[in-house]
Amino acid sequence: MAMTARQRARVSLYVQAGIFIVAVAALILATDWKTIGNSVFNFGKIGPMFPGIFTTGLVNTLIYTVLGFIVGLSGGLLLALMKLSSFPLYRWIATGYIEFFRGVPALLVFIAFGYGVPLAFGVQWNVTIIVMVSLGIVASAYIAETLRAGLQAVPKGQLEAARSLGMPQWRAMVTIVIPQAFKIVLPPLTNEVILLTKDSSLIYVLGLTASQYELTKFGRDGISSLGAGLTPLLVAGAFYLIITIPLSLLARKFESRSARTKR
Amino acid sequence: MNDVVNSSAGHPGTVNAAGVSIKDLRKSYGTNEVLKGISLDVKPGEVVCLIGPSGSGKSTLLRCVNLLEQPNKGAIHVGGFEATDADVDIDKMRRKVGMVFQQFNLFPHLDAKRNCSIAQVKVLKRSQAEADKVSMHNLERVGLGHLADRFPDQLSGGQQQRVAIARALSMDPELMLFDEPTSALDPETVGDVLSVMRNLAKEGMTMLVVTHEMGFAREVADRVVFMDGGVVVEEGVAEQVISAPTQARTKEFLRRVLDPTHIEIEE
Repeated sequence: MAMTARQRARVSLYVQAGIFIVAVAALILATDWKTIGNSVFNFGKIGPMFPGIFTTGLVNTLIYTVLGFIVGLSGGLLLALMKLSSFPLYRWIATGYIEFFRGVPALLVFIAFGYGVPLAFGVQWNVTIIVMVSLGIVASAYIAETLRAGLQAVPKGQLEAARSLGMPQWRAMVTIVIPQAFKIVLPPLTNEVILLTKDSSLIYVLGLTASQYELTKFGRDGISSLGAGLTPLLVAGAFYLIITIPLSLLARKFESRSARTKR
Repeated sequence: MNDVVNSSAGHPGTVNAAGVSIKDLRKSYGTNEVLKGISLDVKPGEVVCLIGPSGSGKSTLLRCVNLLEQPNKGAIHVGGFEATDADVDIDKMRRKVGMVFQQFNLFPHLDAKRNCSIAQVKVLKRSQAEADKVSMHNLERVGLGHLADRFPDQLSGGQQQRVAIARALSMDPELMLFDEPTSALDPETVGDVLSVMRNLAKEGMTMLVVTHEMGFAREVADRVVFMDGGVVVEEGVAEQVISAPTQARTKEFLRRVLDPTHIEIEE
């Protein structure tokens, strides 16, 4: 009953496929389809979510993400340059900031900004600004690391060539190094936008008013008001995919483009 | 010493050439001293080739002249600038000093013409139109006017190096530094780069060239300086140093470089 290596490999594949099919079948049999149908796939009752989830939820999610990304990108660039600085104090500040905000949950940062800042400084920011700043603060910590890697991936000779032509350090960075670094980090940066889109779901903790609802808050609201169980969340999830899947494809396109040519 | 630096060009030509004066230059990396007191004068319009085994300090010496490396001790004068003065305006000095690298270091996100014009616009504050004109002139000077729209990755190594030379020339330098400009090239493209450098020498440009091309050194250089172990071992007229060296280390080095197939491997 000796089998060749190729036969053994084929049998092994059949066994794996068999286990998978049995597992799926068991899952289907164990599921209470009647309940699921009422509380997850109950699309008959979600009419009132439209067009609000589109005109308010999706739009606000996009606005919050873009604003957060603008703050995150500017802050991230500043932090990346600080981290590469020859001045130790800048490096320490940047390292401390990055490690702290990458280490604590984004939710805690949002709570701290939503409730802590007004208490601490006696100022009342409007929600858009709190969202922009808190998303941006978290995003800048991640983006800083991405940009630092990109800046370091630009060969040292580029800076030397620019400086040899009489460009001051800042000019050489702005004109020669940073544009090249951005091309290198375009794929990972697109992934940061995807993460940011999803992180924007956490700002429901700030207590939004109806016109400020983003997708997740819209879905949670639907759960309590529509009597369709968790179905509204399923709809909200689908809307996130409408944003994130194209971004994901874009990142892959950037990746294959930069693999083809260094330019 | 300033007579050497500021006296007028020896060669007739279109170039406003500057001289270099190096006095007792020392440079260490940690405890490793790579330049152990180098003194060297290059007169305006003179072409000096630095030769020597790898690790002899010749590239470091060249990079000290435009302060890509910071010397620990000694003095360097370039044109009217004292490079080793703590108050020197490095950027202003570097405009006068063209640098050509072994790895070209062209800007990959810019085409050949923009490679030549970007520093003219951003540093010399020339208009884009004027800078383009100067860039085209210099690209034609290196025989690449027809490839001005190409990006670096669309050019051969030899073409890239010639664009790099045109880029340096576009700043109207008074001194050109070449750091092994042909060492990274395919053999068949070396000749084009060397002939551009030969023309530049004829025009009266002051040139300090680190090279392994002994034929070029013999033909083009006014003087050849042989370095080994961080010191100048021998210097003199090119023909004499290369054809009739007086120092044993120079003889040994030239024997290895000029006739690499007949080296016996030592234990």
